[in-house]
Amino acid sequence: MKKIVIPGELLSVERKRLGGNVFVSEGKIYSKVLGISDDESDSASVVPLQGKYIPQVEDTVVGVVGRVVFAGYGININSFTESFIPKSAVREQLKVGDLVLSKVSNVNEMREAELSFPKRLFGGEVVEVTPVRTPRLIGKNGSMLELLAKGTNSEIYIGKNGRVWARNGNLELLKKVVLFIEENSFKSNLTNSVEDFFKKAVKGN
Amino acid sequence: MSKNEEVVVDYKKTKKRLDGRKMDEIRPLSIKAGVIPNADGSAYLEWGQNKVYAAVYGPREALPKHTANPLRAVIKAEYRMASFSVPERKRPGPNRRDMEISKVLGEALERAVFVEQFPNTEIGVYVEVVDSNAGSRVACLTAASVALADAGMPMRDLVSATGIGKAFNELVVDLDKAEEDAPDAVDIPIAILPNSEEIVLLQMDGLLTKKEWDQLVKTGIAACKKVYEIQKKALQEKFKLGEASEKLVEEKVGEKKVNTEKVVSKEANKKIKKVKK
Repeated sequence: MKKIVIPGELLSVERKRLGGNVFVSEGKIYSKVLGISDDESDSASVVPLQGKYIPQVEDTVVGVVGRVVFAGYGININSFTESFIPKSAVREQLKVGDLVLSKVSNVNEMREAELSFPKRLFGGEVVEVTPVRTPRLIGKNGSMLELLAKGTNSEIYIGKNGRVWARNGNLELLKKVVLFIEENSFKSNLTNSVEDFFKKAVKGN
Repeated sequence: MSKNEEVVVDYKKTKKRLDGRKMDEIRPLSIKAGVIPNADGSAYLEWGQNKVYAAVYGPREALPKHTANPLRAVIKAEYRMASFSVPERKRPGPNRRDMEISKVLGEALERAVFVEQFPNTEIGVYVEVVDSNAGSRVACLTAASVALADAGMPMRDLVSATGIGKAFNELVVDLDKAEEDAPDAVDIPIAILPNSEEIVLLQMDGLLTKKEWDQLVKTGIAACKKVYEIQKKALQEKFKLGEASEKLVEEKVGEKKVNTEKVVSKEANKKIKKVKK
């Protein structure tokens, strides 16, 4: 059964495969963070409910240009440290406040992210969510993202760093749905409830 | 009662404390997690007359830069008392006592958090006492550890704390102001990591025999575990498993004041209009 665990809570006294956000002390497995754990599964892991964004290789992130220096741009990716894009990597000049979609190509031991393939985002709006809850916005094989794009008729990019960028379509509705998913991210059967949410919204208009 | 008149009480005879508690009973304690929207994690705690807010920010870039440690995160704890939190007005700036408590709180929390995971960063822990009546440092530590967990910080364990000591000829748990001012008072704030029973904070003021000491530590650890259960409940209450609901979102939208007219239901709109009138 799924249950909410707190840091330091005992998950298992038996040996199990170790998943994320757990630690072992004297042969017993404990939770590291506030999150949800399934005690029937054969691996011990915790899905966190809160937390900051920690960059990982291959993540797609939505960054904001924070400062411009001679050689390039300092990009805020909602992490502890600023990332850097050299001027040679982008075709046109960027300004402070511009949005950039990029991939994390490398992360060093100080958790500083190196970005590659930057792409400037024109127009649109950004909705900020809790970074650990973005997987629910994407869904299994992108099912939720597909639903969002279809329901609101807009072009959407979801950054793993907790920033959702969208353009065109019904942005007001999108903001509502994203908030709905964020608030209910730890609950089951979310895709169906989101479908209902869209149906209601269509009726309401 | 005049100032010089001493309360002549003997707990051995009365079998009950001045406020009616048993010897090993803590004052009523309630904690609520997630009360400050702008903080990464927060908690509000009421412990007897003590009222404490705790807020956690980070991990974030350590500033000024010379404070950063390339091997681990630095916990910057700050204990503050509001000027109206004590009977006689307190000058609002940090004094010697505030700085000492900030230091011991930070060191106790450092043991619980996996600081090595976040090199070169700082974790800001700010605790503000708005009302106090003895035992405010243990109240602050209890609230701060709930706030840290609420911020999603990876931790070994929560930190649970309580006061123990001696007053009016008897060993007691969680002393209040009247007991702290007793002629034979001994006051010991103690904090543990409940799983391993590792002690992370221990200060002492007064005299005890070795036998009394051994007994007190035992009762103190038992009391800390009671505090731990309340901390655990506070964190679990913030999230409830089950089906998704729109109600939560409505509340949240109301908080953020985003486009209330359109988002919330008709009933909620009526309420808002009433308030506006």
